[in-house]
Amino acid sequence: MAKADASADDVKKVPFYCYQCVAGPDLAKVTVRNGVAERLEANFDIAEEHPGGGRVCVKAFGLIQKTYNPNRIKQPMKRTNPNKGRDEDPGFVPISWEEAFGIVGEKFREVRAKGLVNENGHPRLATSTGGGGTPVQYMGTFPAFMAAWGPIDQGFGAGQGVKCYHSEHLYGELWHRAFIVAPDTPYVNFILNCGANTEAQSGVVGIWREANARARGAKRVHVEPHMSITAAASAEWVPIKPKTDAAFLFALIHRIVHERGWADVCDVPFLKNRSNSPYLVGPNGFFVRDPDGKPLIWDAADGAAKPFDAEIGDAAMEGAYEVDGYELGPDNTRWDHKGVTAKPSFQVMLDLMAQYTPEWAEAECEVPAETIRRVADEFIAHACVGETIEIEGKTLPFRPVAILLGKSVNNGWGGYHTCWARTMLAVLVGALEVPGGTLGTAVKLVRPAASRVGSVLPGEDGFMRYQFNATSSNAWNRDPHIRNAYKTLVPLVSDSPWSPALGPAHLPWLFQKHQPKSWPRHDPPDIWMCYRTNPSISSWNAPEVSNRLAEFPFIVAFAYTMDETNHFADVLLPESTDLESTQLIRIGGTKFQENFWHHEGWAIRTKAVEPVNDTMDMSDIVTRLAQEAGILDAYIGAINGGAAGTKLARPGKYDFSLPAGEPPESETVWDNMCKAASWDMTGGADVHDLDWFREHGYMLKDYNQLDWYIYPALEAQNLRFELPYQERLTRHGQELAMRLGEIGVDWWETQLREYEFMPTYESFPEIWEDYVRDFGRDPAEYPFWALTARSFQYAWGANVGLPLIAEVADNIAGHSGVVINRRRARELRIEEGEQIVVESVTGRTEGPAVLREGIRPDTVLMIGQFDHWKTPFAKDLNRPSLNSVTDISLKLTDSTGSGSDIVCVKVYKASEKHLQKPLAVEEMGRYDGNIATAAFAQAAE
Amino acid sequence: MSEALCHDPEHTPRWGMAIDVNRCVGCQTCTIACKHWNDTLPDIQWRRVIDVEQGEYPNVQRQFLVTGCQHCAEPPCVPVCPTGATRQREDGLVTMDYDVCIGCGYCAVACPYQARTIAHEIQGYYDGEITRQEEAVFDDGRIGVAQKCTFCSDRVDSGLAAGLTPGLDPDATPACSAACIASAITFGDYNDPGSNVSQLVRDNPAFQMHEELGTDPQIKYLYTTPAVPGREPEPDDLSDERLADPANPLVGKVQQFWDWRAAMNWMFGGVGSGFVFAAWTMSFVVPADAAADYGLWLSAAQLAGAGLMAIGLFFVFLKIGRKMRFWRAVSRPQTSWMTRELYIVAVFGIAVLLGIATQHPAAQAVAAFAALGFLGCQAMILYRARGIPAWRHKLMPWMIFGTGLFEGFALLMPALALTIGLLAAFQLLVPLEIFVYSALALKTMQSASVAIVVLAAANLILWTAYRRSAAANGIGPLARSVLARVYRRVLILGTGLPALLYLTGLVAFGMGQTGTRLAIGVWLAGSLLAIFCGAYWKFMIVARASYQQGFAMPKQPHRGSGDRAAPPRLGGTAMRPGTPLAKAPAGVG
Repeated sequence: MAKADASADDVKKVPFYCYQCVAGPDLAKVTVRNGVAERLEANFDIAEEHPGGGRVCVKAFGLIQKTYNPNRIKQPMKRTNPNKGRDEDPGFVPISWEEAFGIVGEKFREVRAKGLVNENGHPRLATSTGGGGTPVQYMGTFPAFMAAWGPIDQGFGAGQGVKCYHSEHLYGELWHRAFIVAPDTPYVNFILNCGANTEAQSGVVGIWREANARARGAKRVHVEPHMSITAAASAEWVPIKPKTDAAFLFALIHRIVHERGWADVCDVPFLKNRSNSPYLVGPNGFFVRDPDGKPLIWDAADGAAKPFDAEIGDAAMEGAYEVDGYELGPDNTRWDHKGVTAKPSFQVMLDLMAQYTPEWAEAECEVPAETIRRVADEFIAHACVGETIEIEGKTLPFRPVAILLGKSVNNGWGGYHTCWARTMLAVLVGALEVPGGTLGTAVKLVRPAASRVGSVLPGEDGFMRYQFNATSSNAWNRDPHIRNAYKTLVPLVSDSPWSPALGPAHLPWLFQKHQPKSWPRHDPPDIWMCYRTNPSISSWNAPEVSNRLAEFPFIVAFAYTMDETNHFADVLLPESTDLESTQLIRIGGTKFQENFWHHEGWAIRTKAVEPVNDTMDMSDIVTRLAQEAGILDAYIGAINGGAAGTKLARPGKYDFSLPAGEPPESETVWDNMCKAASWDMTGGADVHDLDWFREHGYMLKDYNQLDWYIYPALEAQNLRFELPYQERLTRHGQELAMRLGEIGVDWWETQLREYEFMPTYESFPEIWEDYVRDFGRDPAEYPFWALTARSFQYAWGANVGLPLIAEVADNIAGHSGVVINRRRARELRIEEGEQIVVESVTGRTEGPAVLREGIRPDTVLMIGQFDHWKTPFAKDLNRPSLNSVTDISLKLTDSTGSGSDIVCVKVYKASEKHLQKPLAVEEMGRYDGNIATAAFAQAAE
Repeated sequence: MSEALCHDPEHTPRWGMAIDVNRCVGCQTCTIACKHWNDTLPDIQWRRVIDVEQGEYPNVQRQFLVTGCQHCAEPPCVPVCPTGATRQREDGLVTMDYDVCIGCGYCAVACPYQARTIAHEIQGYYDGEITRQEEAVFDDGRIGVAQKCTFCSDRVDSGLAAGLTPGLDPDATPACSAACIASAITFGDYNDPGSNVSQLVRDNPAFQMHEELGTDPQIKYLYTTPAVPGREPEPDDLSDERLADPANPLVGKVQQFWDWRAAMNWMFGGVGSGFVFAAWTMSFVVPADAAADYGLWLSAAQLAGAGLMAIGLFFVFLKIGRKMRFWRAVSRPQTSWMTRELYIVAVFGIAVLLGIATQHPAAQAVAAFAALGFLGCQAMILYRARGIPAWRHKLMPWMIFGTGLFEGFALLMPALALTIGLLAAFQLLVPLEIFVYSALALKTMQSASVAIVVLAAANLILWTAYRRSAAANGIGPLARSVLARVYRRVLILGTGLPALLYLTGLVAFGMGQTGTRLAIGVWLAGSLLAIFCGAYWKFMIVARASYQQGFAMPKQPHRGSGDRAAPPRLGGTAMRPGTPLAKAPAGVG
């Protein structure tokens, strides 16, 4: 029907939000004519307030097709084939919702009767809820269910393995409350970007702000092995050897502090007053402290050592000084010193960085030394050291330079090094958490979660407070309380609600197959519930993860279409999707990726159309599940307590709480939530119900721009950034080593070596080459580095089953197959579009060759995550996936518990398959998954 | 944008876009927003952003180029349209009337921006299943007709009616521009010097794509900012190797609008019309005493020629998307050579019938010149298809024209031989008459031979000149490689050999009976070769060498790696925040 027709039709525009990716939410409206969602557009009502001009991105436009996708699961289903496996037909048959709830309820009651944790101390119920926390924006009251249930193992993570911005998340929060790091784009003039795919991951707001910055004159230098769309939109692309970014960054520091002379070009007051640069380091590597335990600084003005918080005339940054004091080592080891030689930690850093010359780096990372020097010089030239700017009436330092790190740059081995170097570069010129500089966007590990600035609280030694997981002998979590053992193995990951998913979430898959040495027994969870996640596709070594899933005894999948994970499920519960259900969420403030708002508030996603199929609103499903589990009141209590949004009652203020004992309908929950949220926001001046939100879409109040920066809060409390020296962290590492040694765990030793006061470079690519050798193969046989990159059109969107998205994504090169350097391909006689195989020691994947110039000759790239074998439409795309050739391994896991999307591969034509030999792993006659570590081999003996 | 001017009834806006290449990141939000608003079928993208990579590792750059209808001030698609379905409004918007279009595809091949498509059937995104939403938004009226970007004229019009300002108010702005998340696509009124787009192109260097074609596109591309200065393309970017790479999105593909069925019009129509004219010219070499008989034969020949032309037109009829509306093609005689072709066909048809009925030489002469006109129309139809570089070459009409005549004269031989043969076979002539008529036919053949040799030489010269100047006239390497193949065959089999055979015939003719027989033989052989090769090359030109005009970036933001990276900038130009965005688009909202 043409648009102009039908004036008599029932037409309405329904506001909703799109939160399909971490860069959301974006607000949109959908036009519904006679009950059918026809078209979608941005909600321009919020154009002024939204930092991305109120726009929505390409992914949002897929939502209508997502709603009417004929491949959706149209009603609850149950498995009839008890045998699970990729090649087993699950034999799903439609059932009624009543039967579905009956089956799940019975299982819930059975498990609760047995006890919430199993004999190994692990929760019997596990949940996985998709990447980046975005599913939370769709799962309604499910968080309240989880809160009401009791112990749940969320340690299988989001379902992707720990390949997020992991080191950035952890070190970022420690150092500057930066779960995610962003440039202060509206003010920045120079961005050094080591592989962050900003234009693919930062959503509407990121693209909007970056485009404005480019037009304004900001310059971005992009360092990555291939020319991503972000590199394309940068003023310069610097091809770098994969996984050597730390060498590049160390050489930048060398250039600045040694060749250019730190005293001439750095922000010396910032270094002296806002970092631990002047803290004196003793012979054992720990700070030298005064009798009160305060680290000492040498005051060159007086020629005396003083506690860090004393009045200091001229803090010494260089040299060595004789001081009295003591060092505090692990397990309260104390070294008392009299007249011991101590150096400022800055001097220690200068000593360490002396070796990392641009020439040294060139040999390592294959970026010309001349380029490294130029980039460093551009960085300091743009830093505007000494300048200030007024923000909201307050004068702040103005340092318009920022450094970003990409995913595989800041996770896995080398992640510590790159994160440290990046943050240190910002500290050198005083460009951390000030206008124009490198900022954090949100906090997930420190508290309070709602306020980054509020989380700047005084802690030890003049630094911000940070709750490490205990490593002392009496407080250490000896027996992991969940399967990934984050509290046991990773002090830095802290213990917030996000910590389980940020622990080594791939270890449970590994441990399920191979019982590690000296470790509690590991069994799969009795029940696993998965929501908007597909680990059978998105994990490293996805095929092996599928095998592990097949061993899970009972899986409840909230399901959209059939996919590679719910293939193993026992019950499929189809939820009403984005346009068919209701939820209220927080918007505004500062959020990842580049969401820096001048407002904050709430936005609604409301049922725009009646469910197309026999699906249910997620909150209604959850309420019923809570009833079945016999935890209804606890569940209602959790909703009232704020688990699904905000508190429904605050004593003396308002009370919109739900009555106990009455299962609430979704609409009631969100109606009350609307009232509570609007009351809370306006102090009761404007209380709005669900109908109001349905009409208006959102509600906002002002948010102070000063809260984009935590520098003012540090300055006000006279706190310092904990850089460059990592005393606390190293102490925890040393204690952890002792603890693990005490229980006979020797398979975490490499990880323990990563705890260093300051990171020393190691040749990271060799770790992956070594991995090839562990399989008895010569790395020369696998001459390519295989990498992946985010696709803007697909990332996080769970939209691989939408042909509309595929159509427009195909306009961007690389989506269709394996990107390979054109000249290199010709040497291998590979033609454009020819089917090629990418093979590692553990897996294979294939797709058409895409010949490009913008990629190093030693690198191949597979965009997105494909290789589907079940998801309708996606399974016919013939697209490769890096996840089919990477591996899950202890050897490839760093001390924070993360790994990287990188693997050594060979590439050959599919037409030469007849020459194919068995995979290295097959040839070894066993599949360990983690084969390279001795830990499991020994355990097996 | 001065709202007052936009809403001033005295003011005629000229809507256009300024697209900032430096801002665009290829996210495809515009592409999908356009698909949403305009309900386009799978794989039809009125707005498309292509991913362009240039240079060689490590000196590479990658750009994203927004493509689509340029709403040219001088749109080549409008004058060619035979129905008037494609028009240009006062405000510059090039519009489509789906109820009038016959789906002939002429506008699509006339567009140098690959902006037009024709969907011949309704198709959903999911195989075998039409979703409720697809069913709700499908527009049958858009099937079998040309479609393209309208600059969302419906939004512009309804927006203006509601007092909104296109380019500033999203509801009055094309969906792509309103949706753009990089503020790369700015829409506005180029006739208003104060408008956003006017300011942008006044303050910033901009280029128009394929400016040299004289289309004056109303999409102007910005390519330089203080951070990322503009640059010229490197010679390598325009190398044959790059432009012969089908994976290069700048390279056009073979058009699919006019296939072998359309080619039949040139194959049959060319030889048919040429034959009619050639046969008429021979009436001047026929002795006066045979004039009446020749006149009879000429009528038959004109009827036969008409038949050939009709076959060609019938195949065109088979190709058009909305057959029952074919009659609408008579609507644009002012500008469309396709319409003119139809009118000339009418004149021709009437003249042929009158000629048959009256045997009046004037009617036959009118028919002959109408046929010549028809041939001319055919020549001009291809030439005016500005979207196909191989067609729009200035020699192409002469080649079509010359070859039509060449084929027409060549067809005289078999036609005359066949006539005599048939008359003899059916014993319609007594032996003496056979002798007389054969002598007459041979005389005619001899005269025609001279014309054929001359035309062969002319065609050879035209083809050679065409091929030599192909690259200089913007015909890309892929098309040129097809042309090279065709040229060799045309050179040897289509012109050289026939000319040689005709010359041989001319020499042999008169050398006794054997010589005459030899002459007849080689003339017939030469004719068949000439006709066959003529048809062959026209088929190849229409259906195989018809690569669409590719896209171009005559200027680019200077960004990339190595030699192509923006030059280092060591401070000094750092801008203070709060400084108004220098030369930055105001954008929507």
